[in-house]
Amino acid sequence: MNEIISRSKLRADPGENAPHNVLAWFDLTDTDTQQAAQLGPISGQVAEEIINRFYDHILRFDSAARQFSSDKQIERVKAAQKRYFIELIAGRIDDVYIAERRRIGRIHEAAGITPTLYIGSYAYYLHQLGLSICEKMADDPETAFKLYLSLQKIAHFDMALALETYVEAREAKIETQQREMSELSTPVLKLREGLILIPVVGELDESRAHTLTVALLAGIRDTRARVVVLDITGVSFVDSAVANHLIQTVLAARLMGAKSVMTGVSPAVAQSLVRLGVSVGGLYTAGDLESGIREAEKTLGL
Amino acid sequence: MTVPILRQGKHLIASVQASLSDREMDAFKSRLLAEARRVNASGAVIDVSVLDVLDSFGTRMLGELVIALRLCGTRGIIVGIQPEVAFAMVMLGMHGQQFETALDLDAGLAMLAHEVTLR
Repeated sequence: MNEIISRSKLRADPGENAPHNVLAWFDLTDTDTQQAAQLGPISGQVAEEIINRFYDHILRFDSAARQFSSDKQIERVKAAQKRYFIELIAGRIDDVYIAERRRIGRIHEAAGITPTLYIGSYAYYLHQLGLSICEKMADDPETAFKLYLSLQKIAHFDMALALETYVEAREAKIETQQREMSELSTPVLKLREGLILIPVVGELDESRAHTLTVALLAGIRDTRARVVVLDITGVSFVDSAVANHLIQTVLAARLMGAKSVMTGVSPAVAQSLVRLGVSVGGLYTAGDLESGIREAEKTLGL
Repeated sequence: MTVPILRQGKHLIASVQASLSDREMDAFKSRLLAEARRVNASGAVIDVSVLDVLDSFGTRMLGELVIALRLCGTRGIIVGIQPEVAFAMVMLGMHGQQFETALDLDAGLAMLAHEVTLR
């Protein structure tokens, strides 16, 4: 049902965040991955050193130390960190790599590591990495510098991936809450046999109008209603898309054999409806809820 | 797929069991009209609750069928349009203004029995 109703909505263009576009945005090329791979022979040693220094550094802070419950866990994280480092310099950036980085981002997000903590830690890590490279390749500073620059690009790419997952997680949460809210705000009240009342309070935006439609039509089927009173006293304004949606809902309800009575239409809402050229049969209105219900009961033959 | 047409007192009940092809729809229309004429039915309920889609052709046919029934002296009511179908129909600009509807068979028969009108 929702699918049908939201089919007409535009989806965001996914192209912008497609992997190859992102890589181009970071100017990450094969040269960079090859550069990074130069570190291969000394990577094991470098990784060990940096990771130890890194954890010595962050464990000095309570907020970070709190993340780790035991030495065993720290060892496990260190091992994961080493794998991460080896992947970083292996320089094979493909879908698997991206998926893995996003997974790590999600783990961090779930553990409550803030972006500041995350970027700060990464900066320290990069700093140590730079120092190590300088030290190990002291005889060829130019290559060392280029190598470091390439690693930095990859690291920034990694950070972006991780932070994207942060944003996504938040967005997903907001979406869930919004959905819960909109479901809460469209109760279908059965007043008597064959008569349901749907009071709408607050702003009606398009997504809420969709929820309303689903609730109303399902309500008709479930309660075997013959009349629906739609009270929109609490709605001060509707735009034309929503007004149109309301009309469509009323027409759909009629196709299901139920008459709709709209009550509490404010002057502003009335004007929106008129602007749409509404003069559809099947749309009944009443000034207030009381007369709306009287009208509905008349229809039921009471 | 032949649509069964049952007789219930002065009324006919046609229950569409599966989505109909254009030809089948046409055949159904003729049969129901002939049957209404033959038994001099005062009402006919057409149940479409099984259908999960009703296209513009189907809607137009139903509209024509109801009008033709009325010309034969039979009041036709379409029942059981599902929420999804109803909304999809409206989205496609088919408001079904030309025919009466009811929630289900029960409600349709009650409408015929009590001469209740929706409009």
